[in-house]
Amino acid sequence: MFGRYSFIRETLPIVGFAAVYLLFSYWFESSYYKLILTLVPIWATMGLAWNLLSGYSGLVSFGHASFFGLGAYTTTLLLVKFGITPWIGIPISMVVGGLSGALIGWPTFRLRGHYFALAMLAYPLALLYVFEWLGYQEVAIPYKRENGLAYMQFGDQFGYVVTATLMMVAAMVLSRWVELSRFGLALLAIKQNEAAADAVGIDILRAKLKAIILSGAIAGAIGGLYAIVLLVVTPPSVFGMLTSAQALIVTLFGGVGTFWGPVIGSVILIPLSEVLHAELGHILPGIQGVVFGFAIIGVIIAAPEGLFWGIRDRFMPVPSRRGRDTGTSKVPEAASMHRTKPAADAPVILRVCNVSKNYGGLKAVQNVNFDVPKGAIFGIIGPNGAGKTTLFNLLNGFTPLSTGQIFLDGQDITGLRPNEVCRLGVGRTFQIVRPFMRMSVLDNVIVGAISANENDDMARQQALEAIEIVGLADSVDRLANSLTNKELRLMELARALAGKPKLMLLDETLAGLGSGEVEDLLHVIRFIAARGVTIVIIEHTMQAMVRLADTFLVLDHGAVIGLGEPADVTKDPKVIEAYLGKKWANRA
Amino acid sequence: MGELAIITENILQALAAGLLIGCIYGLMCAGLGVIFGVMRVINFAQGDFMMLGMYSAYYLATSFGLLAVLGPFFGPVAAAIITGPILFIIGIFVHRYLVTRVTGVQVAGLEGEGHFAQLILTLGVALVISNGALIFFGSEPHSIRTPLSRTAWEVGPIFGDAVSIFINKARLVGAAVSVLVAFGLYIFVTKFRFGKALRAAADNPQSATYVGVDVDQAHRIAFGLGIAITGVAGGLVASYYPFQPYVGIEFVIVMYAGVVLGGMGSIIGAFWGGLIIGLVQQMSTLILPTQLQNTAIFIVFLLVIFLKPQGLFGRNAERT
Amino acid sequence: MLEIENLSVAYGGLTAVSDVSVTVGKGEFVAIVGPNGAGKTTLFKAISGVVPPRQGRILFEGQDLLTVPAYQRAHMGIAHVPEGRQVFPNMSVADNLSMGAYTEEGQRRQAEILDMILSLFPVLAERSKQLAGTLSGGEQQMLAIGRGLACAPRLLMLDEPSMGLAPAVADMIFERIIDIRVKAGLSILLVEQRVAEALESCDRGYVLETGKVVLQGPHQTLLEDKRIRQAYLGM
Repeated sequence: MFGRYSFIRETLPIVGFAAVYLLFSYWFESSYYKLILTLVPIWATMGLAWNLLSGYSGLVSFGHASFFGLGAYTTTLLLVKFGITPWIGIPISMVVGGLSGALIGWPTFRLRGHYFALAMLAYPLALLYVFEWLGYQEVAIPYKRENGLAYMQFGDQFGYVVTATLMMVAAMVLSRWVELSRFGLALLAIKQNEAAADAVGIDILRAKLKAIILSGAIAGAIGGLYAIVLLVVTPPSVFGMLTSAQALIVTLFGGVGTFWGPVIGSVILIPLSEVLHAELGHILPGIQGVVFGFAIIGVIIAAPEGLFWGIRDRFMPVPSRRGRDTGTSKVPEAASMHRTKPAADAPVILRVCNVSKNYGGLKAVQNVNFDVPKGAIFGIIGPNGAGKTTLFNLLNGFTPLSTGQIFLDGQDITGLRPNEVCRLGVGRTFQIVRPFMRMSVLDNVIVGAISANENDDMARQQALEAIEIVGLADSVDRLANSLTNKELRLMELARALAGKPKLMLLDETLAGLGSGEVEDLLHVIRFIAARGVTIVIIEHTMQAMVRLADTFLVLDHGAVIGLGEPADVTKDPKVIEAYLGKKWANRA
Repeated sequence: MGELAIITENILQALAAGLLIGCIYGLMCAGLGVIFGVMRVINFAQGDFMMLGMYSAYYLATSFGLLAVLGPFFGPVAAAIITGPILFIIGIFVHRYLVTRVTGVQVAGLEGEGHFAQLILTLGVALVISNGALIFFGSEPHSIRTPLSRTAWEVGPIFGDAVSIFINKARLVGAAVSVLVAFGLYIFVTKFRFGKALRAAADNPQSATYVGVDVDQAHRIAFGLGIAITGVAGGLVASYYPFQPYVGIEFVIVMYAGVVLGGMGSIIGAFWGGLIIGLVQQMSTLILPTQLQNTAIFIVFLLVIFLKPQGLFGRNAERT
Repeated sequence: MLEIENLSVAYGGLTAVSDVSVTVGKGEFVAIVGPNGAGKTTLFKAISGVVPPRQGRILFEGQDLLTVPAYQRAHMGIAHVPEGRQVFPNMSVADNLSMGAYTEEGQRRQAEILDMILSLFPVLAERSKQLAGTLSGGEQQMLAIGRGLACAPRLLMLDEPSMGLAPAVADMIFERIIDIRVKAGLSILLVEQRVAEALESCDRGYVLETGKVVLQGPHQTLLEDKRIRQAYLGM
């Protein structure tokens, strides 16, 4: 999907839908029905705002009423106090929404999961009480007898339908653009695996902030229009729990993570609940909420991702099994043989000085020192629990060091965030493969390429090249969740490679593979090294490593117990003891 | 009466009210703490289950006649206590037929998408319960009116003749019952075999399975128990506070603030957290207008989340 | 006592264990060794029932385990000491051990077994009131083994008890495992990366590689096998 954005082709269905909707609405006489038809695009837009943050990035917000309410009060108070027309007031509401998004997002994004959701819930409720205290319990929009149009007061309710629909169209186009942009891809990657996204160079905080600012701006603007349409604002009606809930419900019902979702949800649920409320509200006063409640309970149990995906999966199954039998690596054998070991005086690309990591009393890594020469294949081996993965996490910034320093090409990279380390040219793979499961192979690899490429087409090109190098060219369109273990490992290599790294950290890339598969991967790794990328690889067993690495570092209980050429290291009694046990060492 | 005496009296009065309300809040939070601690589920419907507890206690006391039979002292207390088993059964059913679809051992691994579903599901349950209650019970506020809720004991005069504080009798009874129930819960989870199993299921579900604990059943009991305890707290609140079907949302934040303050996962910490929230709420009236009482709670809540997310009483041994 | 026949387990699309057959006789000590990712832990989880197998049978004392829910298997006499200890971190050492005795048999023999556990690992008595999460790695491992023993099992399954422990501590844990065998007279199934220790102490062993059994036999035969040395040192 990425990088093939054609404005006309993407916008046409949206505009077409809006035109049909307006024609349909025009046909209704009753101004009550027209009010409902105004509320449909309003809540669709609110849903789109919610979806832009929570649907794409996976951070559940229960606080979108903050932006909506601030927008509603901004437009209303500007009109009431200063006589500023909503035509200007709504854009100002948009700015207020965006700013409050930044203000709320900045501290709150430090929280994760449950804490984030709860904190977001607190903001609108706090604002609710503040606005009551400020004395804005009920603010009515003054009726402008003359010149109503200048104050967004239409003679016919249809004017509001049009205005709301236009705002919805704008939000849909924006959402679609986000879906297709590198920014949307980054959000999707964050949603699926934040750690992996960080490691391939995505600035997570920045992406999330951008999302909440856009999201807040949309919610603020539509909140402003909502106030104008309903002619009166009260704190509970705009800051209340039901406002946040409604945004989330229409989206979940219609489909999360797609711009059609909130629209579908709103088109079905809003008229249903309004009509029920009008017809039965006097005998069953809470019927609206009951319907909403049952709607989301039903959806979450039957089609947890919403109607759009449920229908799509049923009628348009994804051709994920295509190219199933193209598992073999296409790397020419000879190519990998052209690599020469770095000369003895090769410059040092990675220098690790006195690095330690303590967890409480446990010394996970103790006082580790080594240099990796440019162009080397450097193996780090050691038994389970020896601290190998912890060492990698220290190298790429996932875990802060207790003591020590790390230099890349002479530059001190101690204490940098993973995405910063990545953008300086360090790629990494994970012991437990961390693919973006519901994205295609190509999109997975593009995520790795976007931080190194300003241009989207370049990123795509770079990704295809990396896929070619690892030999997955026949599988670009397959979803990651249909790949075999070996293909996933290759894809992770490609994803790391697509960021044009100088240095790659490979964490147990060979784990769990059969002996034939190991051979294929060894070829690919040698081939990558032959293209000038320095490799640091962790392995648990020595068998394959003896043939791959130029230099071995043996780690046991967090400390270096051997460093040197493979042939020497494997004869070292200390190393034999670490691997086969003391008793074996005594026998040998 | 000097100015100093008035200030002292106000502070003592707020302190006393805060402690009493805090004990009842503490019980509410302990109920939520059981659910959150054991299942790691954010239950949005907790406030609405509490509202059900209020109505249950109200109808038990009035229509069912407990008030008439047992009198103004034991009547409301009995109504609140009997509310416990009723809500326990409701909780078991909601877990069995709804919550279990989106939680449990099989979803425990799905970090992101897993709890997404739980949040949404409980939100749906909250909407159905609160609006359903509107249909059944109507929107006018109720409360269990007894002579106790209108009368207060005078403590004092203390510090000479000037200072004396008044303690609402219904709140005092509610606070005392809360402390007793919370203490019972504490004994249950620390001393009883099945209570320990609940904690084990919370701490490490897989290991709990390895030692023979049926984790799904533990979750079901925890859900029922948590709702029952919060329901009892609701029944006690009903004796001094007028309520309507949408009252739940007012208390959800109080409860989560308490649970977070006490350290998510610690059941007894949640009680202390609730107590502090009660104090904050009442003490804030000394300096803030009454409408901003709850805003003070949110600010404390946000501060705790940002500054000490492991909670004030979290004795969590896991590394964070 | 334990018979695993042609067992296969798959995660998502990946086969972690394929066509594995393993038996453990009454009172026997069996070790399974193999590199990381070979499927050892998955095999254990299948026996305990936390991952469902795709194919094959697991019989325990003649009863088909696949019809028994995971939590019931502890009550049948199978104790699983998981990889990476997995103690209950926010519970005291004493509570961890009493959780081990959650089974009826464990309750019945609680006092007697607790004596044995504390004589094997006296440090647990000293730490009795401390939260398990604050113990050192070695102490946690002792506690995990103690918790397993407290179930009063007939089969004790140990998953990499030496992982991440200092050599002296690992040696001590191994000595205790041998003591347990002598004292408690139960069957032991061990997964280990310290090949020599594991093979020296066991009666029979299996070598697992990429989900398959590639080698099996009595411990003496395996200890003399060249392939083991090759698999672990690449020589």
